[in-house]
Amino acid sequence: MAASCALLSAGAARSEQPTPAPVDSGLLEDWSVDSALAYYHEEGRIQAVEPVVDVAKVFADGQALDFNVTFDALSGASPNGALPSRNPQTFSSPSGKPKHQYTTAPGQLPVDPDYEDDRIAVSGNWTVPFTRLDQVTVGGKLSAEDDFFSATVNASIAHDFNEKNTTLSFGIDNEFDSIHPIGGAPVPGGDYALAGKQTGGKTKDGVGLLLGVTQVMTRNWLSEFNLSFDRFTGYLNDPYKFISIINGAGGTTGYEYENRPDQRIRKSAYWENRVAWSPQISTALSLRYMSDDWGVRSDTAQLHLRWSLSNRDRYIEPTVRWYRQTTADFFTPFILTAQKPATDYASSDSRLAAFHAMTYGMKYAQKLPGLGSRPESEISIRAEYYQQTLDVRTPVPQALQGLDLYPGVKAVLVQIGWRF
Amino acid sequence: MRRLSLALAMLAVLAVTGCSTLGVKPWQRDVLAREDMQLDSDPLDAAIDDHMYFSKEASSGGRSFAGGGCGCN
Repeated sequence: MAASCALLSAGAARSEQPTPAPVDSGLLEDWSVDSALAYYHEEGRIQAVEPVVDVAKVFADGQALDFNVTFDALSGASPNGALPSRNPQTFSSPSGKPKHQYTTAPGQLPVDPDYEDDRIAVSGNWTVPFTRLDQVTVGGKLSAEDDFFSATVNASIAHDFNEKNTTLSFGIDNEFDSIHPIGGAPVPGGDYALAGKQTGGKTKDGVGLLLGVTQVMTRNWLSEFNLSFDRFTGYLNDPYKFISIINGAGGTTGYEYENRPDQRIRKSAYWENRVAWSPQISTALSLRYMSDDWGVRSDTAQLHLRWSLSNRDRYIEPTVRWYRQTTADFFTPFILTAQKPATDYASSDSRLAAFHAMTYGMKYAQKLPGLGSRPESEISIRAEYYQQTLDVRTPVPQALQGLDLYPGVKAVLVQIGWRF
Repeated sequence: MRRLSLALAMLAVLAVTGCSTLGVKPWQRDVLAREDMQLDSDPLDAAIDDHMYFSKEASSGGRSFAGGGCGCN
């Protein structure tokens, strides 16, 4: 048996899970529905409203279909990449209609106050068992925004063995993105004041591979281990972000558009363990390590604890997540006039800076009688608080010391859910 | 890279040594069948969280593919 296991990898549990949808055929009411409405708010920044609906059905022959529709409406203020200054700073906004200017007060982080975007995404997956122990899933996703369009196709295969205690899975996905920045795509590294823009859209493509093993460890313990690899090529810049150029006295003399490499390769390892400690209490602990060829390394640990109450007809679920990342090689919060960066590549995007973040969450769910022929339904509400603290150590000119140059992110998420 | 190598080694150890002694018989799956013991017990919660982290952090994926189909990063 051990020899046969040598081929392994991820997913055992998925095949032995109870089906998420009633096993029947024919009637539309046999579809299971999972829906949520999320509200996300960043302090002083953007807010988003995100409704999601997912419908799924498992057929009598084991085939399964799943469709998802997600909508996002974002608005608010988005950092433009420039550094706070002792003096007012004026910028042109690519957002809003018509094009206009905005001014950032001294000491404040420059943000485009009129950021606005809507996104709609639809996806579907079809799972087909082709032997008692093997199944194939194929799917796709389309996502559209005002300035962005994405199409993704994916396929995976899973094999059960060891009395269905072990599942080996392998998946591949391919993403094709088209970017049409409002006002045109800036010349990477170009002078912001000259507003040099390239014509036409930009593209980027990505390929992802995922290899995984799911293993039933004991009657109360399930483990999943995934290795993933992805490679994106093409236009990887944020077209709306630029970098302050600072003189030795701390004065801002200009700005230049960011310039990232046109390829990024990421590798990650993910390990999740689910343990039932009692009929009422279970935990899910996940750990992830990621590295990429931009120099970013990250560690993530997340713990969910589910505590079922009243004969399992309701539960609460506290969550905590810890995350940290190192800086990308070409991240720089500003460019000194006398000292251009060692590399031609440069970005002041805080998502590529060194930082750590904590998330604290709580969920409450209540089971209700089912609708129609469905056995039960569930309503839930959850809230999360996310705080990101930047760990940028770059020395700054004396005149800028004392300013809050890297304010980080504080965000709240509130979500209601209904599934039946 | 060293940590990825370690992860690969863990995978190999699990594969070679684990399977024959780990696991349960079909009639011992009562606890594993519980909703809270499913790896994708809350797929919408996970998707909404992943979208938030995708737009704020340099990392994504792990549990599934890393691509986001989103212009937010």
